Amino acid sequence: MSAVDLLNLLVAAFLLAGVYAAMSVGMTIIYGVMKIVNLAHAGFLMLGAYFVYELYVRFGIDPLVGVALAFPVFFFIGMAVHWLLIRRIPPSDQPTLTSLLLLFGLWLVLQNLGYLIWGNADRAILTPRTLSMLGVGPISFPTVRLVVFAVAVTSLGGLEFVLHKTWFGRAVRALMQNRDAGRIVGVNVERTARVAFGVGIAFAGAAGGLLAMLFSFSPDFGGPFLLRAFVIIVLGGLESFAGVAVGALILALVETFSILVLPANYQPAIAFSLLVVALVVLPDGVAGLWNKRHRWA
Amino acid sequence: MEQKAPLGMKRAGKMRVFSRPRFTLVVAPLLLLTILAVLPLFGPGPNIIRLLFVTFVWVTVSVAWNILGGFGGQVSFGFAVFYGLGAFTAALAINGGVNPVLSFLLAGSVALLASLLVGLPTFRLKGPYFAIATIGVSEAVRVVMTNFSLTGGASGYRIMETGAFHQLQHFYTALALAVVAVAVSILVRRSNLGLALIAIREDEEAASDLGVNPFRVKLLAHALAAALTGAAGGVYARYAAFIHPQGVFAFYIGVAILLMPIIGGVGTIWGPVIGAVVYGLVHEELIASFPQFHLLLYGSLLILIILFEPGGVVGLLDKSFRILARARGTSGSHP
Amino acid sequence: MAPILSVDRVTKYFAGLAALKEVSFDVEQGGICGLIGPNGAGKTTLLSIIAGSLRPNSGAVIFQGRVLGGTKSFEAAQAGIVRTHQIPKPFRGLSVLANVEVGMRFGRSQRSAGDTHEAQRILEWVGIAHLAQAAAGRLSVGDQKRLELARALAAGPSLLLCDEVCSGLTESETMSVLRLLREIRKAGTTILYVEHNLGAIMSVCDHVIVMNYGQKLAEGSPEAMQKDPSVIEAYIGTTAGT
Repeated sequence: MSAVDLLNLLVAAFLLAGVYAAMSVGMTIIYGVMKIVNLAHAGFLMLGAYFVYELYVRFGIDPLVGVALAFPVFFFIGMAVHWLLIRRIPPSDQPTLTSLLLLFGLWLVLQNLGYLIWGNADRAILTPRTLSMLGVGPISFPTVRLVVFAVAVTSLGGLEFVLHKTWFGRAVRALMQNRDAGRIVGVNVERTARVAFGVGIAFAGAAGGLLAMLFSFSPDFGGPFLLRAFVIIVLGGLESFAGVAVGALILALVETFSILVLPANYQPAIAFSLLVVALVVLPDGVAGLWNKRHRWA
Repeated sequence: MEQKAPLGMKRAGKMRVFSRPRFTLVVAPLLLLTILAVLPLFGPGPNIIRLLFVTFVWVTVSVAWNILGGFGGQVSFGFAVFYGLGAFTAALAINGGVNPVLSFLLAGSVALLASLLVGLPTFRLKGPYFAIATIGVSEAVRVVMTNFSLTGGASGYRIMETGAFHQLQHFYTALALAVVAVAVSILVRRSNLGLALIAIREDEEAASDLGVNPFRVKLLAHALAAALTGAAGGVYARYAAFIHPQGVFAFYIGVAILLMPIIGGVGTIWGPVIGAVVYGLVHEELIASFPQFHLLLYGSLLILIILFEPGGVVGLLDKSFRILARARGTSGSHP
Repeated sequence: MAPILSVDRVTKYFAGLAALKEVSFDVEQGGICGLIGPNGAGKTTLLSIIAGSLRPNSGAVIFQGRVLGGTKSFEAAQAGIVRTHQIPKPFRGLSVLANVEVGMRFGRSQRSAGDTHEAQRILEWVGIAHLAQAAAGRLSVGDQKRLELARALAAGPSLLLCDEVCSGLTESETMSVLRLLREIRKAGTTILYVEHNLGAIMSVCDHVIVMNYGQKLAEGSPEAMQKDPSVIEAYIGTTAGT
C-alpha cells in the first residue's frame, strides 16, 4: 500500500464524509427540536433518490438541478407529513416509543409505495459526470464525488447560516436546548417544529438525490443509510451540528479504510458495530467528550 | 384516615385489563386448545393444517416477544436474529442426526446465548436507543450469516431428515410449543419477574430506587423470549426443510414479530395470541393474493394503532365491553 | 453510637458547574435530620448521590460503616437506603396496591408474593387504603406523595430519604404527613428530610443541616438554626420558622 494509495483513500473518505453529513443533518434537526428519532428518514432518502432520477430520466434535468429542486419540494412534503401525522405524537423531552413506532410504520408505507411505483429493480443515475475522473497531482477520484461533496457542503453552509442568522434558526437552537424555556421566551413551538420537520425532510430528500448520484438504488436503499445516519448523529452527540460533521468523518474514514482489512461483503456490519460502540461507550457522542474536557473542573 | 377525592376530579376507576370475568379467561382458552388438539381427526385438509401450523409458530414468537417488549417495555426490532439462529441450529443438528426435539432445545439454547451477547451491550441503553441498536444487530447478523459458508451462505441450507414422519408431527409440535409459550407468559406475569418488568416499563428509575435490578431483569426476560423464539425457528425450519438467511433473518420477520403483539394488545397475555392469529391468517392469505401490499398494510396498521388504539385488539374489546356495560346501566368501574 | 450515614467531602460537577462542593456531615441513627437551603443549594443532588442514582466526582458516602460505591440505586435500596421523589414517580399502569408490592418484593425486606396484608397495612398507615385498587396514575398529587412514602416504606429502609414530601400539600395534609414521619421515626427508621417548608422542618426535625450554593452552611438544632445569622441571610426574603 503506497502513500499515494493511502492518500487516495483519504480523499475518498473525505468526499464521502460530506455527503454523509448532509444525509444526517436532517435527522439531527428533527431529533433536536422534537426529540423524535425519524425512522422514516430512510423512506425520504429513497424518495429523494427517485425524484432526482425521474427528473433526469423523463425531463433530462441535470441531477444537480434536481437536488436543488428537491429542497423546496421535500420541504413541503415534510410540513404536510408533520401536519398529518407528527403533530399527533404527544410531545416529550425524550424520544418515545410511540414516535419510534409511528415513524417506523411510515417508513414501511413509503417503502411499499416505492415498490409499487418503481418495482424492485436497481436504478442508477448515469451522467457523463459519473464516469469521468478528476486528477490532482497523483490523486484521482470520480468527478461526481467532488461535485456531490461541493453541493453537500454548500447546503450545510446554508443551514449554518439559517441557524445563526435567522429568527427561525435561533428558535430552533433555543428549542433544542430547552423546549419549555423556548416557549416562555415566545417561540411558537408548534410552528417551529413543523418548519423544522420540513427542513429535516428537505435535507433527507436532497441528500437522497445526492446519494443517488453516487450509488445505485432501489426502494429499500434507505435502510443502510438510515443506520449510517444514526451512527453519525450518535457519534456527533445527537444534537450538535458540528458533531455531525465529526461523526460523518469518522464513519467515512472507518468505512473507507476497512476495505484494507475486511472483505467487502461484511462492510454493512461496520456501521452497526460503530453504532453499538458509540451508543454504549460514548453516550454523549464525541462532542460530549470534547465538552467535558474543556469545561472547568 | 378518609379523604374525599377533590371536587371536579374523576374518581379513580378500578383498574382492569379485561372486564370479562376470570372464568371466561380460563375456560375459553382451554376449550380452544381442546378443539385444536382434536381438529386433525376431522380431516380438515393439509392447507388448514399448514395454516394452523404457521399460526402456532407465530403465536409462540409473538408471546415470547411480548415478555420483554410488552411486559417490560423494551421494544426490540431484532428478534429475527433469534428466530434465524434457532432455525439454523436445529437444521444443523437434525442433519447431524440429533433427535428433533433435542434439536429444538438446542435451538432455544443457542438463541438464549445470543440474547445475552446482544443484551449485555444494548440493555445499557434507554428504550428508543435500545430499539435502534436492535435494528443494527439484526441487519449485521443477517449480513454475516448471508456470507457464512458453513451454512451455505446466501444459497441456503437444506435439511435432509432420515426416517418417515407425518405432517401432523409438525402440527402438534408447534401447538405444544405455543402452549408452553403462553404458559411461560402467564407464569412470568404472575411472578416477581413480571412485576419487576412492569415496574421497569412504567418507570425504570423508580423501579431501581426500590431495589429492582433493571439490567438483570431485562437480560432474564430477553433470555426467556429468545429461547422460545429460537425453538420456534427450529420447529419452522424442520417443517420448511430448506432455509436461507435472507428468509429467516429478514428484517420483515423482526417487524412481524413486534407487529403481532401490538396489533393484538401489547403487554397483555392474550393480546399477542390474538395478534398472531390475525397476522398469521391475514399474512398467509395476503402473501398469496397481494404480496406487493404487505409492507403498506403493516405500516398503515402500525400507524393507525399507535395513533388511535395503542391497546390493540384487546384494548378495543375492553373499551367496547365498557361501553356495552354502561349502556346496559350497570357501571363497568367499581367505586 | 456511630452515625448511620456519613457524607464525606462529597463534590459533584455538572458540565463544569459545581453543584456540590466538599459537603460533609453525619446523620445520627434513629432521628429525623432535616436538610434545608434555598433553591439550587444542591439538596436534591445530594439526596440522589446518597440514594445511589448519581455518582459524586469526589468524596464518599458511608452507610452503616460501609462505603457505598457505584451509581446503582437498587444496590442502595437493598442496603437499606430508600428515597421518595420530589415529583412523584408512580407506576402509573399499576394499582396503588401493586405499587407498594413492588417496594415490598424487591426492597431489603424481600417479602414474598402472598403478603398483601402487609401492603394493605402500609396503605392504611399512610392513609390511602381506600385507593388500593385505583390506578396509581390517576391519584391526586397529595395521594401520590403518600404513595411515594408507602412504597418507600414497603422496601424496609433503615434510612429513608424524603424529598419534599410536603410541598404542594394543604396545611392539614402537611400535618398528617408530619405525624406519619414521627411514627416512622418511632418505628426505628432514620429519616433524612429535604424540605422547603421551614415550618415543617422545624417542628419535626431533631437536627438540621443548612446548605447554600452547594456547600454546607451550618448545622445544629432547629432552634439554633432559626437564630443563626448566616442562615437568616441565606433566606433573606423568607420568613424562617413560622
